[in-house]
Amino acid sequence: MVAPATLSLRPCATLAPSRAAHAHAGFAHTSRPALSVSCPPTRFETLRRAATAVSDRQGSAEPSEKQEDKPRTYYFLVANAKFMLDDEEHFQEQLQEKLRLYEERSKEQDFWLVIEPKFLDRFPNVAKRLKRPAVALVSTDRNWIRFMKLRLDRVLAEQFDAETVEEALASNPAELKFDKPDKWTAPYPKYESGWWEAFLPPKSSNGTA
Amino acid sequence: MASAMELSLLNPAMHHYGIAAKTASHLPVVPARRASSGAVRFRVRAAAAAPPAPAAKPGSPKKRGKTEVNESLLTPRFYTTDFDEMEQLFNAEINKQLNQDEFDALLQEFKTDYNQTHFIRNPEFKEAADKMQGPLRQIFVEFLERSCTAEFSGFLLYKELGRRLKKTNPVVAEIFSLMSRDEARHAGFLNKGLSDFNLALDLGFLTKARKYTFFKPKFIFYATYLSEKIGYWRYITIFRHLKANPEYQVYPIFKYFENWCQDENRHGDFFSALLKAQPQFLNDWKAKLWSRFFCLSVYITMYLNDCQRSAFYEGIGLNTKEFDMHVIYETNRTTARIFPAVPDVENPEFKRKLDRMVDINLKIISIGESNDLPLVKNLKRVPLIAQLVSEIIAAYLMPPIESGSVDFAEFEPKLVY
Repeated sequence: MVAPATLSLRPCATLAPSRAAHAHAGFAHTSRPALSVSCPPTRFETLRRAATAVSDRQGSAEPSEKQEDKPRTYYFLVANAKFMLDDEEHFQEQLQEKLRLYEERSKEQDFWLVIEPKFLDRFPNVAKRLKRPAVALVSTDRNWIRFMKLRLDRVLAEQFDAETVEEALASNPAELKFDKPDKWTAPYPKYESGWWEAFLPPKSSNGTA
Repeated sequence: MASAMELSLLNPAMHHYGIAAKTASHLPVVPARRASSGAVRFRVRAAAAAPPAPAAKPGSPKKRGKTEVNESLLTPRFYTTDFDEMEQLFNAEINKQLNQDEFDALLQEFKTDYNQTHFIRNPEFKEAADKMQGPLRQIFVEFLERSCTAEFSGFLLYKELGRRLKKTNPVVAEIFSLMSRDEARHAGFLNKGLSDFNLALDLGFLTKARKYTFFKPKFIFYATYLSEKIGYWRYITIFRHLKANPEYQVYPIFKYFENWCQDENRHGDFFSALLKAQPQFLNDWKAKLWSRFFCLSVYITMYLNDCQRSAFYEGIGLNTKEFDMHVIYETNRTTARIFPAVPDVENPEFKRKLDRMVDINLKIISIGESNDLPLVKNLKRVPLIAQLVSEIIAAYLMPPIESGSVDFAEFEPKLVY
């Protein structure tokens, strides 16, 4: 059974132009991170984690229990753009699947792709190991990022705290262009370049859109 | 809401092997394979609209007679394993290396249940089945049967593991149970597809009558990892091909494959985590030899199987060999993220070897179909089997590619991402 999903506190901007056509009740983007972004349908009963994301999620079950805004922890995986957006086509399917599910369950989006994220400045040891431009998958859902690390494997994982979601997802301008693969063995065409735009943060916090 | 298929498959009476459930047999059902014994049979309902028939009771009059399940080396397998060893492996008190965080993350992912409402049928199925005539009809029935058997075999194994590991590792056990939920859904959906052809697989009968292949836990991990990942690549390849070439969209089940195969992919990830939790299965020379062996067996089995059924793939507009090679390349690339060694499938010699195996295999099959005496047939087969074996060994001895998860790789600190 589906648990009550999320309560969005302050809807302001819809996510991306392509999404505007959909019923966007659950997909509004809050200026401050909502408290409940990553409530899974059947909540995970493990309580031993101290991470703020988890305690927030617990709180979200009680609609009456409004919590004041506070810094959140963001978890991310990062690798070069070619790997993230061009080579790993199953990754696109996974993100689409998650977005579809969030729409169905009116959940607020808690995962984004960030091209050339500004937060990399805080992680010189990560940044120096990346081919550029780099792309990060960012989420407030620690468990999901951990799962995605298992899936993608060839990525670096880190986490940071940010006051606002805009600050967390800020990016530097970058141009993405991928060469056609030398050898294409599939009986179908590649996913169209630009599929990732649906997963970029809203324009206000993203310089590259 | 859970789908009807799932409910009928996850009947509470179905706790372990050999126990058949009391689900009513619904009319009209023409079993694809006739079950014989008077024991209770478990059958997925064949037609939703059919009036409920009284449940079959033990000892109720039934057709008796010898039945056999047609099995060959290449039919989908039913697996069983050493459950006591499994319990040991996942006992957190004995095994301190268990990365429980990774399992917790997987459990959340499986509980999310992305495809909770995906497997709902529509009238297109029956219409498409009615339209299909002649040899294509037979080929589709076989496709549905084989796929259903394969999904159902996953259901049985995962269900039992979920039951057996409950005490020693409740998280791992629950993941197994949730995966058996997915497999039951898939098998039920395929079996419903069969009902449009007025057929149904008697899964309870299969449960008892099929031979179970015993694999030690580590081999179960390799084999099921591969079968889940290769399943993903097969389904997604068919889906994307038909999306690009809708004129070949002759049967609606393919439209479900995109969401469906994400389940397979996640199942594979779970086995990846299981292997990581048992580094002894990944980090020595034996692990490398076994990894290559399992990759090869899975790829070769698929290639030989599919080349015997190229009418199916051609029927949906695919070139069988190209389709298979694509699936092999991709599965191998995926598998290289976890197995310590994989065969070099992109070496052109690898495909040449596969093609030679297909030729030999076809010769072996045609001997079986000839009118020779059984002894003569066997004598004729011997040299061909020897040739096939030597091709397989030669493929095994090709220089492999060292691989593995970056979590274990020695070169990791120097890796540029």
